[in-house]
Amino acid sequence: MNRNLQRRLATGSNAALVAVIMVLIVVFGYVLLEPFRIRVDFSATQSSRLMEDTQNKLRILEKDAIPVKITAFSAQEGKKEAYFKNRQLQDLVEEIDYASSVVEAEFVDFDRERLTAENLGVTEYGTVVIQRGEQRVDLKDRDLFRHVGKGADRAMEFLGEASVNRAFSQLMANNTRVVYALVGHGEMNPESREPDGLSDLGKALDQEHYELKRLDLVRDAKGGVPQVPEDAAAVIVVRPRVQIPALEQELLLAYLSAGGPLLFAVDPGGVIPEIFGRFGVAVPEGMVLDKLLVFPFPDRPVPRYRNHPITEALASETLVTLVSGVAPLQAAVPPREGIRSATLLETSRDGWIERGGELKGGNALFQPEIDAAGPATMALTLELGRDSGLVNRGQGRVIVLGDSDMLSNSLLTEGPGNLSFGVNALRWLVGDDGRLSVSGRPSAVRKLALTEEDLGQLRWVVIGLGPLLAMMVGAAVWSSRRGR
Amino acid sequence: MIDVQHLTKSYGPRLAVDDVSFSIGKGEVVGFLGPNGAGKTTTMRILTGFLPATGGDVKVAGFDVFDEPMQVKRRVGYLPESPPLYPELTVGTYLEFAAELRGFYGKERLKRVGRVMEQVGLVGWEGRVLGSLSKGYRQRVGLAQALVHEPEVLILDEPTSGLDPTQVMGMRELMRELAATRTVILSTHILGEVEAICPRAMLIAGGKLRASGTIAELREQAPGGVWYYLEVAGAQDREVGALAGVQMVEPLGIDGDFAKLRVRAPADPRELLFRAAAAKGWRVRALEQRLPSLEEAFIGIVGREG
Amino acid sequence: MKFVFTMWKKELRSYFVSPIAYVFLAAYLLIAGLFFYLGVTLTGEASLRVLAGNLAITQIFVLPMLTMRHFAEERRQGTLEMLLTAPIPLWAIVVGKWAASVTLCAIMFAGTLVFPAVLAYYGDPDWGVMLTSYLGLFAVACAFCAAGLFSSSLLDDQMAAGLIGAVILVPFWLVGRAEALVPDEWADRVRPLSLLYHLDSFNRGVLDSMDIYYFVAFTAVFLFLTFRSLESRRWR
Repeated sequence: MNRNLQRRLATGSNAALVAVIMVLIVVFGYVLLEPFRIRVDFSATQSSRLMEDTQNKLRILEKDAIPVKITAFSAQEGKKEAYFKNRQLQDLVEEIDYASSVVEAEFVDFDRERLTAENLGVTEYGTVVIQRGEQRVDLKDRDLFRHVGKGADRAMEFLGEASVNRAFSQLMANNTRVVYALVGHGEMNPESREPDGLSDLGKALDQEHYELKRLDLVRDAKGGVPQVPEDAAAVIVVRPRVQIPALEQELLLAYLSAGGPLLFAVDPGGVIPEIFGRFGVAVPEGMVLDKLLVFPFPDRPVPRYRNHPITEALASETLVTLVSGVAPLQAAVPPREGIRSATLLETSRDGWIERGGELKGGNALFQPEIDAAGPATMALTLELGRDSGLVNRGQGRVIVLGDSDMLSNSLLTEGPGNLSFGVNALRWLVGDDGRLSVSGRPSAVRKLALTEEDLGQLRWVVIGLGPLLAMMVGAAVWSSRRGR
Repeated sequence: MIDVQHLTKSYGPRLAVDDVSFSIGKGEVVGFLGPNGAGKTTTMRILTGFLPATGGDVKVAGFDVFDEPMQVKRRVGYLPESPPLYPELTVGTYLEFAAELRGFYGKERLKRVGRVMEQVGLVGWEGRVLGSLSKGYRQRVGLAQALVHEPEVLILDEPTSGLDPTQVMGMRELMRELAATRTVILSTHILGEVEAICPRAMLIAGGKLRASGTIAELREQAPGGVWYYLEVAGAQDREVGALAGVQMVEPLGIDGDFAKLRVRAPADPRELLFRAAAAKGWRVRALEQRLPSLEEAFIGIVGREG
Repeated sequence: MKFVFTMWKKELRSYFVSPIAYVFLAAYLLIAGLFFYLGVTLTGEASLRVLAGNLAITQIFVLPMLTMRHFAEERRQGTLEMLLTAPIPLWAIVVGKWAASVTLCAIMFAGTLVFPAVLAYYGDPDWGVMLTSYLGLFAVACAFCAAGLFSSSLLDDQMAAGLIGAVILVPFWLVGRAEALVPDEWADRVRPLSLLYHLDSFNRGVLDSMDIYYFVAFTAVFLFLTFRSLESRRWR
């Protein structure tokens, strides 16, 4: 073998080796760097970012290390709607897949992969199946998409993440806590599906691992000593129709003093539990009204969110909580010793407390001589320390709502923010502050306002203009170079 | 300047260059002579570092072509067989590009392009598109490209092929000028070209170096060698052949009184012949030295060995 | 570095003094316009998503046509001899040519900027998403030009170089659809190779470090292979 051949072989094999090594390094680098994946979202809606709450749940799922599989089936082939539905489902699936190593998410074409659908027993387009171990939750099209607006403004909203989020909660349900709803005095019934029932709230809480049960202090005692059950995470009293007997009020106070949280919801002109006096909360006569209202309902002022953990997320997502017929609330000024009160919902500056007077054109008007000027408080929270004399252990939390309808079946699912408000209020009460979040964040499609006519004109601009210009410049260059 | 030892190049089983060794000193002008497909172009491509050798060592200006190609490339100007032109560019932009490839930028670049255009006679042609140039001008641009960095070594592959006679004359003139200051290797299959420009030539055929030397030396290697033509009356060829200093005499024919003779001698015998003729009363009508043509030498050498 | 600039300048000039660049530009804008128009009429959405997705796939076939001439043509013209015997590093030639192709792509993209303008006029598009969509297209252009250059360095024939360029790229497209053909575990393993998988985030307004890594690595590997393939004549 001569020297030259040796040199060439050395260089050649070296070059080949380096090329192979380079490819290996690149592949290895990918595997090495993948765990440190960084994702930056530049979209205006941050649509790729999973909500804090979802991320928390993914983290909890990860700790359990039980594999979770999400199978999202495509929507029925159709027009625009199916395109958007599939795209949003796909995006969500992918985002969850990126975000977690224990959750494996997959988008499946329902038409093409019949076998997958059959294996899972899925018969509907657009179904999302979430499996964790033996457990399984199915989400249907109606859980994932909702239409808002009318006519030209009609738009589709995607609630997929919120639904998946709730499904996660259901799947993780192993430490359900009980929230008792006091009954026996005409309160709203947690089991009733009527408009003034609380069944929807019960369902929503169920997905968050709270069980909403009725509590009849006298009857449940069955002749024994009546008391609030030991497993109570919170007690809510929604719109009593008759005054709560002193005995039962004492029981609630005893529960509060042991660190149990309470929620009261009252209505204007309704019964005001006497214990409000102990908290320094007054309910003046009249009804809260506002120029800013949910048209055409004069008794539905649009509440403003004050800075509070319960409403923080709602405010940032600008979701409205619907209320109907609100009693004004007043916290004692100066505050009672050991009691810290915070306003949760209030009217705008244009709100007032209506105390009768004339109606003009069917609408109430602010009349300074009769009415009290706003902003009026519609909901508040109280934190009771030991020096209040009401609490023996830790800190007591109380929420007072000037409206009961907002929690009832009539408004809970109608208002964009009601569900979150209700669930978050409960979470805050029982001290699950870390879990506070908006339960649903819809994402909408950005529409183009294009008429057929516009499209016709546009066609020539977008298809013809560019190529034409390019050809013209080309022809100019070509002709200028000819004959040179 | 150029040192080639046992250079071999094979394309698969075919040997294009077979154990060629030569060396060329600084300032020499050497012609590579050989029929088409003899291995001239391959040798030149190896010298410029464009092709790798299969075996042997090639050094240009003291740098090994394989180990230090950059050093070699910096010192070599190369005009391939067909000038390496981008047909879409103009003469000016092309030469500026060539200058930049050699590391000249800004004013230095413009200066060099200007000078080289003057050198090859392209002044006023800057704006012409290369694709529309005639063969002669394409060749000039190609040469300009090889000259722009004033290389120590200039390698020209068939610089006059395809040119018309006046263009050939011009090109030869140009090469003669260039040869004055640098080492030049040019390849050709036209013998006259070597004769016109190169003091030294190498004869390559079938991948082998068949002969090398000055033009005179090559001629002597022709089968005929140098001889003298004599027309004489009053003398027998034997008498001429008997003269001291004459090796051999062949009669070529008779023209009246005059005998036509081919005289061979180790040294120039002309003076001697004149004196002998004067002394003996011979009438000499013609006496001249006959050199073999390069063609004869070429065919002789290639034919003899191949 | 200045040699890269020299090559870049020369290649761009070659593109723009000959009709190819303009024919190319016109064809590209025509295709892009059709996709855009279709996207708008089908979805009615103020977004470039349909366009960006389709253009990326189109580029698999279009960009090798753009790069095919590079080395194949140099070889045919004999200018490769001039480049390879000039004292300029090989990598500078490769990078310079690649940069010129990428620049031409950038100019083609600039020609499509009329679409965002139309969207902004008739709707309220998400500018962040459009920006990342364009970044994605650009990343694809960088990667594809590198692959096209590689195939051009392998083959003497222009058309063959263009064809092979597309043939190199198509598997990276199809691998994203591998799920339908091979078992899931396999599909998961090869998915990081998929172009569509790495493009998706760009089209949703998200920059992902791994996507950027993918395109940078794709480009680097093919530029390196091009370099090697040219260098191989030094020892082959």
